[in-house]
Amino acid sequence: MTGTLISLISILIGIIAANGLGFLIKKYSFGVIGNTIAGVFGSILFIKIFGRLGFNPWSIMNNGDFDGFLLLLNLVVSGIGGALGLILAKMMYHKFNKP
Amino acid sequence: MEDMIFYDRLQFAFTITFHYIFPQLTMGLSLLIVYFKWKYLRNKIEKYNDAAKFFMKIFAINFTMGVVTGIPMEFQFGTNWAKFSELTGGIIGQTLAMEGLFSFFLESSFLALFIFGEKLMGQKLHLLTGFLVFLGSWASGWFILATNAWMQHPVGYEILDNGKFVLENFSALFGNPWLLPAFLHNQLASVVTSSFVVASIGAFYILRNKQIEYGKLFLKTGVIFGLISSILVAFPTGDWNAKNVAKYQPAAFAAMEGIFETENAGAEIVLIGQPNMVEKKLDNKIAVPNVLSFLTYQKWDKQIIGMDKFEKEELPDNIPALYYSYHIMVGLGTIFMAIMALAAFLLWRKKLYKSKALLWAIMFLVPFPYIANLTGWYTAELGRQPYLVYGLLRTTEGVSPTVSSGNTLFTLLGFVALYMLLGLLFLVLVGKTINQGPKHQTH
Repeated sequence: MTGTLISLISILIGIIAANGLGFLIKKYSFGVIGNTIAGVFGSILFIKIFGRLGFNPWSIMNNGDFDGFLLLLNLVVSGIGGALGLILAKMMYHKFNKP
Repeated sequence: MEDMIFYDRLQFAFTITFHYIFPQLTMGLSLLIVYFKWKYLRNKIEKYNDAAKFFMKIFAINFTMGVVTGIPMEFQFGTNWAKFSELTGGIIGQTLAMEGLFSFFLESSFLALFIFGEKLMGQKLHLLTGFLVFLGSWASGWFILATNAWMQHPVGYEILDNGKFVLENFSALFGNPWLLPAFLHNQLASVVTSSFVVASIGAFYILRNKQIEYGKLFLKTGVIFGLISSILVAFPTGDWNAKNVAKYQPAAFAAMEGIFETENAGAEIVLIGQPNMVEKKLDNKIAVPNVLSFLTYQKWDKQIIGMDKFEKEELPDNIPALYYSYHIMVGLGTIFMAIMALAAFLLWRKKLYKSKALLWAIMFLVPFPYIANLTGWYTAELGRQPYLVYGLLRTTEGVSPTVSSGNTLFTLLGFVALYMLLGLLFLVLVGKTINQGPKHQTH
């Protein structure tokens, strides 16, 4: 279950990254609520896709060993996922709401 | 071994309890959102459209939290309950996969379309997307309950020589006599929760003297939906469920009703009382004679088997918890009916919006439908004990032999800490949305 715990931490990082991006670059922001939702799905999507390369939460604590580098990589990808999730959501929003 | 089972069960109970806070609102709320949107299409009054969009925002926050807290659930089957998954995966794997593939994707895809696509799609398609979100969330409930119904009353299976369960009759899985009443009862209970949430937000706006127009709309809608659903949740669906328990799980029925000794000339219904497990009786009880026999079998003097007729190994392992869960659920359900009936009466007499005491009561009652829903689930799950699959697979046989109790305790503490953070975030986000109100519809 440690892998699941790390997954949840990754999602929190995604939320922080999306809100951070929204705070720094206002044109991408949906407000705290929208940024949080986009961050959750962005981080899940990215970890699911790129975690297959070997740093998914389950390989971080394999057979009782802890790999700090993989954890760091996982958190970075989650953060990027959260931020990109927000950008993607904003692009989708603009696409749907063209004047 | 006992330690392992205790911590595995505790972790599952904690994570599922926290998780079920969210879907119980989204399932019911999706129905109310479709109603608001449909009303808007009929009368073109903008406040109905604002209400649909406002509650979809609350829906989205709950849905997101439900997704996050749902992740540990699926993994627990494989980690803490690996033996159970190995033996029953041929059956429960199908319904759980259907839930993910059909319902979750339907719900999440159309949720995004509902939030972003109103301008592009036009109003009729916008209503359709709302309806598909509703369909997805209710289908999700259907597949989860099909899984649980099979665990409560296994049908359509075959047991192979290696002890594994395989599906022998697919239609029996969805035609399980346990499924339909459990589904209807559960879904209506989630409508009760969302009605209270909608009504309480309305009461909050009226009491705060802000967004009054929306406050009145929310309160009125919440009270009408709340009254209808709280009646239907008791009768016929609750009654139907109780009869199923009496028929298929008589030991659980005796335990949840607190019947320690078999009464040949009709069983009484216990309103209040405390199980005394040493003397095998209820202390300080208030009971109405013969009513339980009548409610269960429509015969005043029909015998109901008490716990004395079952072997200890066949009885649920935590009888007081089961008894209290059931009685809390029933007691709260009765209070909901009374409150909503009074509110509906005052609404009809055009006095509801000025009845401050009732508005305060409705506002502060919000946690209680959640408690009733959770205690309802505790009743079902504690009643099924000591089995994972009723009568076939004991809880002790489903646990993973390789996950230590220390490991489970460590991750449980981690979940508690993370869920506290998530819970706080959830309250902040929902509080912010309610504070902004439906007039601020920004994405």
